[in-house]
This record gives sequence, structure tokens and C-alpha cells, in this order.
Amino acid sequence: MFNAVRQASRTATLVRAARRPAATASSLRTFPSVRTLVTKRYTQDHEAVVFDDSTGLGTVTLTDYAQSSLGDVVFVELPTVGSVVEQGDQIGAVESVKAASDIYAPVSGTVKEINENLNSQPGLLNKSPEGDGWLCKIEVSKAEEVTELMTEDAYKEHCQS
Amino acid sequence: MPLPPILYHFFRSPLPYARTLALQERIHALQLALRRSQSHQDILLLLEHRPVYTTGRRQIASSPEVLAEEQRLTEIGADFVTTQRGGQITYHGPGQLIGYPLIDLGRTTPTIGIRDYICKMQTVLRRYLSESHGIVSVPSDNTGVFLDAHTKIASIGVQVRHRLTTHGFGLNITPEIYPWFDQIVACGLADVRQTSIAAVSTGKTSENVTVPGEIDGLVGRWGKVFERDMEKLDVAREGELAEMIRVLEQEAQYAGPWSRTPDSASP
Repeated sequence: MFNAVRQASRTATLVRAARRPAATASSLRTFPSVRTLVTKRYTQDHEAVVFDDSTGLGTVTLTDYAQSSLGDVVFVELPTVGSVVEQGDQIGAVESVKAASDIYAPVSGTVKEINENLNSQPGLLNKSPEGDGWLCKIEVSKAEEVTELMTEDAYKEHCQS
Repeated sequence: MPLPPILYHFFRSPLPYARTLALQERIHALQLALRRSQSHQDILLLLEHRPVYTTGRRQIASSPEVLAEEQRLTEIGADFVTTQRGGQITYHGPGQLIGYPLIDLGRTTPTIGIRDYICKMQTVLRRYLSESHGIVSVPSDNTGVFLDAHTKIASIGVQVRHRLTTHGFGLNITPEIYPWFDQIVACGLADVRQTSIAAVSTGKTSENVTVPGEIDGLVGRWGKVFERDMEKLDVAREGELAEMIRVLEQEAQYAGPWSRTPDSASP
């Protein structure tokens, strides 16, 4: 269902009622014709954040470029659920080839969820860095921080420089 | 535009670990601040430590296992410090040459990735061992330098924050480290034993191998592999960096003796 949302995100007015459980109109939190935008942005330090403005959550991941330059990940340190972070704060670390590399919050907010699978399967970060190897979800406190980060095109250029 | 030289300094007396870690942190903070104006320097510190066991980031300082190890190992005359580097428990002490390259991986274009950085570090050590001592090492899936699957001569453990590195490598030079290593399972590798340059050098007899004797050769190889000029840091000069180093050097000289061998466990 999430994928359907992403593909549909670029269209203008879209009925969101299909995403909600079939319920009475009064239980719908949003007006039927509201548009939900899912934005993906990148940082200089090779993190990515996928921001869904209907949930207010930004899913933080490393990029494919980051995982390939790290090597095989053996350990991932994640922030505590509930911690309040500022953009740029250290929120964890990734260990590979005996090197521990800090990861930073791409946006400010509260950590709502962490990917517990990374405890037992740190290799997910290499296999699917921008998918199953997601790091944590932050409830974004300043949505404008998201749009100020690099777009995919700008990030690709950054990687080549 | 040519890159600035890497400034290196070799400490004459074995240094206490915690104070050296504090120095690394202060240099890191200084580099981070100066980088905004691109006036930060890359540094290579070379030294020995007083006997110490250190753990990496995966070991939690307050966990019962770590606390138990801390008690056991401090009782035999070593320090014990938990750190944020990669890698697991290891030993450092006199007879082992420590290198702390404190460099900005983002100085070159493209940025040096972590895997590349570790690979280059291993290359420096392997080439040095081969060219200066005729010691042949083998490639390994494990990080570090191995003479065969069960024999290790150098360890690596690094931390990277904002592309600035801290911690580094430990190269075994003389046999005085062995009884200390025997007290632990170093780096989590149970079937691996340590060796030293003195034990396996084909160029020099064991008595003639000393830590200070290895410095120039290693520094030269670092410069070649990383394609940088290496410049001896002038500790008498002005500036925060030189002062921090002078202070630690002096402290170490006045610190007094350390345990030469592990103290026997009480009966």
C-alpha cells in the first residue's frame, strides 16, 4: 500500500479515502480531496530521508553509495525511541571493517521507531540500504528542513564530485 | 592544487591511554572547527601506550561482561578503557607501535571511503613489513595484518565522524606484548595468536628491533601510499596543536614506571 502511495504522490488532487479503512465519513482525519506528498531528500553525509507529510514521519536511511563505501556492515547502533534530535546530531553509528562511522539526523524531530531487524541482520544495510535496511523514523518537527536538503539529482552530482 | 603535508610526531615515552584519547578528541574538535576555513591539518601520531586493554563501540561499558573484564584486567596492572572505535577488545603496551592518523578523508576528490581508507592503511603496513623486514603477510577477510590464518601482527580499529578519522593501528614490534595478549581473546578471534616484527624479521636480529627504529620507514610508506608529503611536526612552534602535544609528552615523561609484565592473579 505504501508503494501505491509513492507512485501516486506526484499527481495533483487525489482522493485519499481509499487508504483509510472503510469507515464513516466522520472518522476520516483528512478531507477526501487532500493530496499527500512523499518527498525524498539526501544529505552531504550520504543519508536519505523519505518524508510522508500525511504521517509527519521521515524514514531515515543510508544511501546505496554509503553502504558500498562502508563495506560489509557488522553492527548498527541506533538511537533510543523517544529521543529528541536536532538536524545534524549524531544518532547512531555503523561498523564495518573495524571502522565505526557515525550517522547524523538529516532532520530535527523525535525518534518514533527504530529498525530492530538491524540488530540481528546488520547486513540488511548492505542488501537494501534504502528499503529493508532503513534506520529509524523521525517525527519531523520542522518540515522545511526536508525541502532544504539535496534532491536526487543534486545528490547524484555530489557523489560524482 | 597540491594537498598540504601530513604532520607527524613520535612520542618518546609510553603514553597513558585515556590522556591520549583526550588529545585525539581535542585534535578532532580543532580540525572540525578549522575545516570551515579549510585551515585544518592532517596529523599522524606515533607512540606506544602504557599497558592498557581497550574495547570498541560494540561493547557496552556498563554490561556485566565488560565490568568483569575491567576488574580482572586492572588487577593485573593494566588500564582498561572503553572507546567508540570499531573492533573488539585488544591490548596496547610498550613493544607495540601505535599509529593514530587523524585525517580528513574528504580532503581528496573524491572523498576516500571507509573501506578504501582501511585498505590503504593495511597496504601501508603490509608493504612496510615486506620491504623493511622481508615479512610476507597474507590477504585476509579479517581487518588487520596476518602472516597466516592464525597469526596476527597488526590490528586496526577506527572511528570516523564527518569524514575525520580517529584511532588507527597497532603494529607488534617486540615480544614483551605476548604475556599481556595471553590474558584476552584479542579482537574476538579465538584461534589467532600474536607475533611481532622482532620474531619474524628476516632483515634484523630480534635484539636490534626497536620501536623508534621503525618510525622513519613507516612514515615514508604512509606518504607513498596516501600520496602525501610527510612533515615532522615542530613541537616548539606556536599554536594549539603543538602545545597539546608538548603537554602530553611532558606528562608522560614524569608519569613514572609501568608494569613490565602482568601481575600474577592473587591465589
